[in-house]
Amino acid sequence: MSVGSAIGAMDNKNAAGHYVEVEGLVKLYGNDRAVDDVSFSVPKGKFLTLLGPSGCGKTTTLMSIAGLHTIDAGQIRVGGVVYTAPAEGLFLPPEKRDIGMVFQSYAIWPHMTVAENVAYPLEIRKVARAEIDARVADVLKLVGLSQMASKLATQLSGGQQQRAALARAIVPRPRLLLFDEPLSNLDLKLREQMRVELKRIQHEVGITSIYVTHDQAEALVMSDEIIVMSKGRIEQKGGPREIYARPVNAYVSNFIGVANLLKGRVTAVTAPGRGEVEIAAAGGAVQVPCLLGKGMAAGADAVVSVRPENVEASRQNGGAAALEGEVIQAIFLGNCVDCRVRWGDFEWKVMAHPRAGLKTGEKVYLRLDPEHTLAVLP
Amino acid sequence: MSTQTLADGGLEQQAVSRWRSLVTQESVATIVVSVIVAAAVILPLFVLVVSSFRVLDSGGFDTTWGLDNYRTLYTDRVIPKAFLNTLAVSAGSTVLATFFGVSLAWINARTNCPGRDRLEPFNLIPFFLSPFVGAIAWHNLAGGKTGLLNSWARDYLGVHGNLLNVDNLLGVIWVTGIFFAPLVYLFVVGSLRRMDPSLEDSARTTGAGLLRTATTITLPLVAPGILSGMIIVFVTSAGEFGVPFKLSAPYGWQTLTTQIFSKAVGDDANLYLGAAMSMALGIITVLLIWIQQAYIAPRSFTTVTGKGFRPNVIDLGGWKWLALAFNVTFLLIAVVLPILCLLVVSLHPVWQAEIIPKDLTLHNYVRTLDFWAPDHISAATNGIVNSFILAFLGATIAMILSLVVSYMIHRTKGFGARLLDFLCVVPVGFPGIVLAMGVLVTYIKTPIYATLWIILLGYITRFFPYGQRNISSVMLAISEELDQSSRMAGASWFTTLRRITIPLLKPGIFAGWVLLFIIFLRELSISIILYTSGTETLSVGVYYLTNYENETLTSALSMTQTVMLLVCVYIFRRVAGREALTA
Repeated sequence: MSVGSAIGAMDNKNAAGHYVEVEGLVKLYGNDRAVDDVSFSVPKGKFLTLLGPSGCGKTTTLMSIAGLHTIDAGQIRVGGVVYTAPAEGLFLPPEKRDIGMVFQSYAIWPHMTVAENVAYPLEIRKVARAEIDARVADVLKLVGLSQMASKLATQLSGGQQQRAALARAIVPRPRLLLFDEPLSNLDLKLREQMRVELKRIQHEVGITSIYVTHDQAEALVMSDEIIVMSKGRIEQKGGPREIYARPVNAYVSNFIGVANLLKGRVTAVTAPGRGEVEIAAAGGAVQVPCLLGKGMAAGADAVVSVRPENVEASRQNGGAAALEGEVIQAIFLGNCVDCRVRWGDFEWKVMAHPRAGLKTGEKVYLRLDPEHTLAVLP
Repeated sequence: MSTQTLADGGLEQQAVSRWRSLVTQESVATIVVSVIVAAAVILPLFVLVVSSFRVLDSGGFDTTWGLDNYRTLYTDRVIPKAFLNTLAVSAGSTVLATFFGVSLAWINARTNCPGRDRLEPFNLIPFFLSPFVGAIAWHNLAGGKTGLLNSWARDYLGVHGNLLNVDNLLGVIWVTGIFFAPLVYLFVVGSLRRMDPSLEDSARTTGAGLLRTATTITLPLVAPGILSGMIIVFVTSAGEFGVPFKLSAPYGWQTLTTQIFSKAVGDDANLYLGAAMSMALGIITVLLIWIQQAYIAPRSFTTVTGKGFRPNVIDLGGWKWLALAFNVTFLLIAVVLPILCLLVVSLHPVWQAEIIPKDLTLHNYVRTLDFWAPDHISAATNGIVNSFILAFLGATIAMILSLVVSYMIHRTKGFGARLLDFLCVVPVGFPGIVLAMGVLVTYIKTPIYATLWIILLGYITRFFPYGQRNISSVMLAISEELDQSSRMAGASWFTTLRRITIPLLKPGIFAGWVLLFIIFLRELSISIILYTSGTETLSVGVYYLTNYENETLTSALSMTQTVMLLVCVYIFRRVAGREALTA
């Protein structure tokens, strides 16, 4: 059993933090590179989210891991077992991968009851009937569907179908859970509730999970780690706070949350990781002190990224560094005021404190905090 | 975590089997089915093309390459006329079928015509019956001297000579037009019924009147459906064999189909000339079907939404009784009169265009149905048995094939799926008699020639796309994720097919099966080319009786076939409902 022992050895080696390993994944649709050299890994028990707009390759990546389609290059391993490796002609069919998956449409089989749906993976695995019944009951209790066990799938609401799909995915205690935008068909309120619940259940069963979504709020709430994708490539990988606070480029900065993005050039590096960026303004260039992101050196083209909540706006000019603009829109939202400020050709998005008392048509002074102003790759 | 190690242990063993993973159930099934379908569809057509360029020498034994067969098509004494006759019949029946189909669809879908819910299902009945039998019935109703209506007109109205005569091209147009009216009806009624009423309402709110709304909104929305129906009727009429064979060929008006039959199967058979004639007919029909599939079908906007609308109903006022009379008249001439006539004629020992109550007998049914009757006619009794075997086996095999083919088309991507999709449209474009010629020239030197198997092959090749479309329409409505989630739950491709896909497709599978059963039970133009003594089918039995026996025996077997078809139609409607009818 050389194969078996080799796998065992690899499992030990990878126990540290590489349970799921995707290496150089390439998937072509005709001449189109739907996934273009994507590599990442997920530690055991962690929750990773693939985040990006439609067509960014996130679902294709997920489907490749699931084995629902083949890949053109690269390798996918889970727990040291090779799932797909086209170079060596290896392809483990989806049913042999021991993966639980929750689909966008939930895919609850309409000709079976909820309990039959959930029992199905166990029947396929030839688990004894008594154990099946016990495990189905346990899982239905976990997802809060005990009362609905004998209902047909068609009698369930969207949220209940969602729970049933989750129950069916986790009941065989798979090595890996995959989620393909499972919340996108729910209404906003239910979606917010399910985010928290899904995360709780995943944490409880402790199964390594990969989650695909285009909803950045979902990604921030649920994930241990987030991978932001665009056009088949990874833009950035990191924890939710890191991705939000330290985006590596303008794309990520704009995709996660809202940001003011101004093109410029790095003119000086004042300290390690700090510097000044020159941006063009109406009355001549302005030097903006900021944190320098990865790859930022003097003379480099950069984009200055500032979150609206990190722009300080006031009616008084308190210092020389302030940018003078005109409020062109101020929408009162209760805890803050959503403002648009015209500054030359540029329009700032500003989340101002209600006490600042900004009004449309008035002059305003904007100050940027160097600790929350980032220079990133364009 | 303990559960994780358990799972890992199971996977280590599976990891070894991944080496065999390229030979999956799915890929094996795909390749096998693709090869079968490609062979079944392409081979006969290919051999047909090749055969049409083989020229039989004067001795009738050897062949050489040449274009002589095609030259014969326009130098022959009969064929060019037959070609023109075919065009005339197709054009005429298309006009007639469109008139009946569109007006009946409009009356039933959009007016307050009384009793329309009750009448609706009956309007489709001619679609399921045999036009050949319709021609036999109308021959007895209005065929010159022996027509019952003519004899009544002489007796009661004092008409001299014959009031009506269907034994000519007009008669062919009449019967074909009536029997194919449901094809247009089906194409139109769906778009009329499923049309979003707000489309018309919004036109009305802009100030457009009823008539203006009808011509600028309703008609353009239904036009693709009407055009599709017209093309299908034109093509089906051109390929129809039974009606011209019964009504016009004996009186000197040949069509392409009757010519193919007499040239290819007659005493001095010339298969190669028959192949060339089939090519001429096939090219026209394929071209038209291609136009319909590629340009017209995609333009039917309204049928896609699938939402249940309550369409605007137009109040006809007093005219609604006229609409009712129109609908009842159609049912009389298409269903009631022909069936009653068959019944009456079949009960007489000899048909003399009058009802003679004291002569009535069931003896014709004994001779055509009873195996053990000493004077039974074996062509008829064989036909019933053979047709049941063919219909049962054919429908079953075709549905299994359709299931796998639909699965390939909708659930796999790439070249194979597109090829299969194309192969499923091809047989629909060829009239049965053309495809049968292809099958005949392909398999004439194999052991299946002169057996039921060659007929079965012809049936399945020509008609499995009908079953495939029935399944596909259901499959399109079922998310692919239902299958995928079964694979992810650990079930193999075959287990998924058995436990998830097939149970979900059950209504479509059964509706398709019954539809094919009906089609096979009445099939004539393939059987007539491929049968030999002993492998007669029901319709071939009717052909035999009308050719070699008399009208009363013919009517008895026709009546039997009609009753069997009506029973199947009843079952079909119970199972499928009216929405399943999209052939």
